[in-house]
Amino acid sequence: MIQKKICMIGASGVGKTSLIAKFVHSMFSDKYLTTVGVKIDKKTVSVDGAEVMLMIWDLEGDDEYQRLQMSYLRGTSGYLLVADGTRQITLDQAIEIQGRVAEAVGPVPFLLALNKADLAPQWEIEQARMDDLMARGWKPFKTSAKEGAGVEEAFVELGRRMIQPS
Amino acid sequence: MSKLERDARASAVLETLGIAVFIHASGALRISGQPPDWVGLIWPTVTAPDATLPGSSAFLENFLIDARECWTAGGEKRARSGPWVEQTADGAEVSLEATALTIGGQSILLLEKLGEVFEAKKSMLQKARETVIAYQRLNSEMQKKEILLHCISEEMNAALANVITALRLIELEKDPRRIAQLLSLASRATEEQQTLINKVLNVFAAELEGLRGRDIDGAAIAETKLGDAIRAAEENVATQFADKRVRLRLAGSGLDEIRVAMNSTHFIRVISTLLENGLQSAPLGDEVRLSFAEEAGSLLIRVSDNGPSFPPDICANLFSRAGTTTPGPQASQLPLQFCRIAVENCEGEIGYESRKDGGNTFWILLPTAGPAK
Repeated sequence: MIQKKICMIGASGVGKTSLIAKFVHSMFSDKYLTTVGVKIDKKTVSVDGAEVMLMIWDLEGDDEYQRLQMSYLRGTSGYLLVADGTRQITLDQAIEIQGRVAEAVGPVPFLLALNKADLAPQWEIEQARMDDLMARGWKPFKTSAKEGAGVEEAFVELGRRMIQPS
Repeated sequence: MSKLERDARASAVLETLGIAVFIHASGALRISGQPPDWVGLIWPTVTAPDATLPGSSAFLENFLIDARECWTAGGEKRARSGPWVEQTADGAEVSLEATALTIGGQSILLLEKLGEVFEAKKSMLQKARETVIAYQRLNSEMQKKEILLHCISEEMNAALANVITALRLIELEKDPRRIAQLLSLASRATEEQQTLINKVLNVFAAELEGLRGRDIDGAAIAETKLGDAIRAAEENVATQFADKRVRLRLAGSGLDEIRVAMNSTHFIRVISTLLENGLQSAPLGDEVRLSFAEEAGSLLIRVSDNGPSFPPDICANLFSRAGTTTPGPQASQLPLQFCRIAVENCEGEIGYESRKDGGNTFWILLPTAGPAK
């Protein structure tokens, strides 16, 4: 079986831990509980017929209180860059963090997840912004850790990008 | 004290602190002394002195790269892993932190189970991050509201400009047909304005409905000192009462001893609104009475005036959204709707009574929150 390390990266409160909880344990809680430090979970997924064991590193949100420690990204095969679609500022932060990560770990596959898609009335990412992201070649995934929409798809797609021969 | 004794004492101190000491030699990490109990819960093979730490932690494996660099450099250099979570055999989560250092030429790895200090830090970070998120949401909401307000004022201005222009032209016009056209234009512009105002009121009414079942801030419902709140409400309406030469008569004692189970901002707004309603209804130079009666954990507050009673169709919708767009002769329903929601949120009741001989009484029944401290 192929084993791959992936990291969850993004600002605080965007739903990184909730995405893992939904993907790995099929659970969701509305209560926000901040992650301090690192927690590692595993899940095996089938990617185009190949069994891939994902070692998912849930990293503390990057903010003014704690910057992302690049040593945690050592050996990562890919990362899920997460932003909260109801807070546009977290997308700006995700873009800034991605720049730092790319500098530290090089051109590693990643996928942008715009989380909280269930909160449509509060959605702040306008189509023009989505078009900009598409133009960058980022192809963002809308996910909802609450309802599960797009969650499995995002992890499997990241898995696909990681096992594709470069 | 011999070196052996000193080492034994140091080991005992670390053991008491729940810190596991591993010595790195020949590529393996061996525990020094008796491992603290928590170590065996995570790594069941590490329960006795000299046991080797298995390479089962992906996080530790990653950190050991930094640790080896530190041991190679020697001296006073240290490497800290930052906190991470491991699971015990029964699935419980344990927060740990590792430190690599060199002492007396030996490569040491300290593993610490994080306790109260870490939990306190986590709690502070939780609050700080919640505040940041709340601030970002509020900021975004304010920006949207500013845009909305700008649009509303532009729309209202345009409709008002049409009315003014039409009226000015009527002044100069002699032709009755043209005057009729201009009046029709002014009338349409006025209706547009009214429609817009109603839409705005509906939006605010919908927001107020959204507050049902929780405090505005989402926080637990607070307590309010009745005396302070009543004085604040009196201040709010004092000028309006003076303008209409209406007296505000207070009936009730021991206000400073009573606390009501409602956020003070909301309570002051509710009382101010009821007093304003009383004032609008009260005849010129008359009075509005504000009375209190405490009984069995509840406080009954009544605001009465001697003005004309509301017609039955208005009474039916006094506190509801349905009444919002049809203002009554005296009362303004949107603030009354706020009063109902605020009172019901605190498990209170609100109502209206009219007297046959004229006069209105708004009453609210609120749970009290024990004596003032």
